[in-house]
Amino acid sequence: MFWKRQIPIAIVALVGTLTLFGWFVDQPDIKSFVDDDATQWYDILASFAIFLGALNLLKLQFQKIIKRKRNWQYSIFAIGGFFFAFTVGFLMRGAYTVNINSAGDNPNAVAQIVAGEIGGSIEASEVLLGLIEEEAPLMLEKVHFTGKSVNEAANQLIESGADAEVIPASWGAHLTKKDSLFNWMFFKIFTPLSATMFALLAFLVASAAYRAFRIRNFEATLLLVSGIIIMLGRVPIGSKISSWFVLYIFVLLSGIVVNSWKNNRILTFSTVGLGVILVTIAGFYMGWPIDKPAFAYLPSLQEWIYLVPNIAGARAIMIGIGLGVFATSIRYILGIEKSYIGE
Amino acid sequence: MNDKKFWFTFGGILIAFIIYWLLGHPHFIVERVAMFYAILLSAATLIYFINKAKRGEEIYLRTIPGLKAFEEAVGRSTEMGKPVLYVPGIQDMDQVETVAGVIILGHVAKMTAQYETPLNVPVARSIVMKAARESVREAYIMQGRPDLFHEDMVHYLTDDQFAYAAGVNGIMMREKPAAVFYQGKFYAESLILAETGNSIGAIQIAGTASPAQIPFFVTACDYTLIGEEFFAASAYLSKDPQLLGGVKGSDILKVMMIGVIILSIVLRLFNDLGWINFDILKYLTIQ
Repeated sequence: MFWKRQIPIAIVALVGTLTLFGWFVDQPDIKSFVDDDATQWYDILASFAIFLGALNLLKLQFQKIIKRKRNWQYSIFAIGGFFFAFTVGFLMRGAYTVNINSAGDNPNAVAQIVAGEIGGSIEASEVLLGLIEEEAPLMLEKVHFTGKSVNEAANQLIESGADAEVIPASWGAHLTKKDSLFNWMFFKIFTPLSATMFALLAFLVASAAYRAFRIRNFEATLLLVSGIIIMLGRVPIGSKISSWFVLYIFVLLSGIVVNSWKNNRILTFSTVGLGVILVTIAGFYMGWPIDKPAFAYLPSLQEWIYLVPNIAGARAIMIGIGLGVFATSIRYILGIEKSYIGE
Repeated sequence: MNDKKFWFTFGGILIAFIIYWLLGHPHFIVERVAMFYAILLSAATLIYFINKAKRGEEIYLRTIPGLKAFEEAVGRSTEMGKPVLYVPGIQDMDQVETVAGVIILGHVAKMTAQYETPLNVPVARSIVMKAARESVREAYIMQGRPDLFHEDMVHYLTDDQFAYAAGVNGIMMREKPAAVFYQGKFYAESLILAETGNSIGAIQIAGTASPAQIPFFVTACDYTLIGEEFFAASAYLSKDPQLLGGVKGSDILKVMMIGVIILSIVLRLFNDLGWINFDILKYLTIQ
């Protein structure tokens, strides 16, 4: 009980206090512990913990296949994907290139093979072969995934008279080398799949926006109007819409509000009529400039909505979050919150 | 003033700091002194209210619908005979939101143990898997149902953001859970998860302190714990007086914060008008 209760609480209290008050102390050892050592310790622990995660994943997927659980077929892909990534990451270099040290006696034949390898013209390959010097061999750009494939290419060159050798990518570099097997897997399989998931957001935002913008109450209406203003104000066509047009829309909207509120035709007509007259007089007086008055010009209006009410709301939430984080941290440091050890 | 121990400790720390200050305050970053006082004051406020709650004084907390809905959601799953899905975010245990998410998981696990409802917790980090597993195990033991607990309730999917989202979506579509909880740190995957949950008709309760994700959750989920509510969830659910005292303390801090903001605006205005020669922003800006 002592090891599972008191010791973890003491570690949390000690490290928490050190990290909190380390911010106020200009002492290199504490600073280095807070900024570097503590995070490095965490990274080391997390690196070892990944094995636990991987083993758990494999265990569950194998169990699904062995017990023929529902949809067990998907587990084959999960396990296959895992072992493929593991193999190309740890066991296979998957990146071999060919270096030509000299073109030999028959550069024309060598150029033909080089052109086939790198996909250019024979003339261009001859030029490249002409650039070979001692200590500066020609490295063919094509990367082979397997030793067999690269040996075949090298043998072809050697048979045509060139002095060629196979250069395998060094371990570690094989992960980042362009066109290596790992690189291919990452950019041709993983990245498109991730991008597909991310792209789903475009459709999901639309369906979520539809639900949010449905006019049900005052808040939803406010959200809808603000959303339209922000969207229109941020696209080029928004700057082409005259502020006077927006003012007339406001007048009509005020008519709707008055009608919903008082349900009186005369009052509604008077409001709209008076509004239209006032806007028209102001328009003639000011000469109908497209961006004046600024409060009705969509780009200015959207900027105001974005910078004033939006930021004010976001800051209020941020202050709440900050206080929540602080209160939670203090509860951990003082050992009041012990749920993380199961109490 | 009836908490003598508190005032004695607080006074002692203050006097010790004043003595340290008078001795030349070696190694102390002077520019950060205002922040240091703010932290001391905030910590003292929290501790004061925690002690108050410990003494048995009644603490009133407003009702948060999202928190009341936790039990309702688990109950609904039980009635429908479907599992509960709990997503503790995609970040590691070095994020306070993930820690809060794991703590709330313990409370949800108590409910699922009580109602004998299956619980499924896919995680994106191995350390979170271990912590969450311990939390769920303890919850089942505390409810007297260790027989219902099995380790694979909490299982690892992947570290990658969108692969994790795809995995959780797959679980949702296949298992059709009746209740889905999103409690932790989320990024762009929040809407992907929440919309999928919405499409299967699950009751969804989200909680996060990621400001950019709050609108998505509000739109797609039935209840959302916003910012501080999320951190207060553990106190609400446990009904532990000490934790409730902490929540009350942070509410008082918020009031103090509003006071500081108003006072700072006035002082800044006076400074701008040239009535006083004191720039409050110098003290409030983090150095």
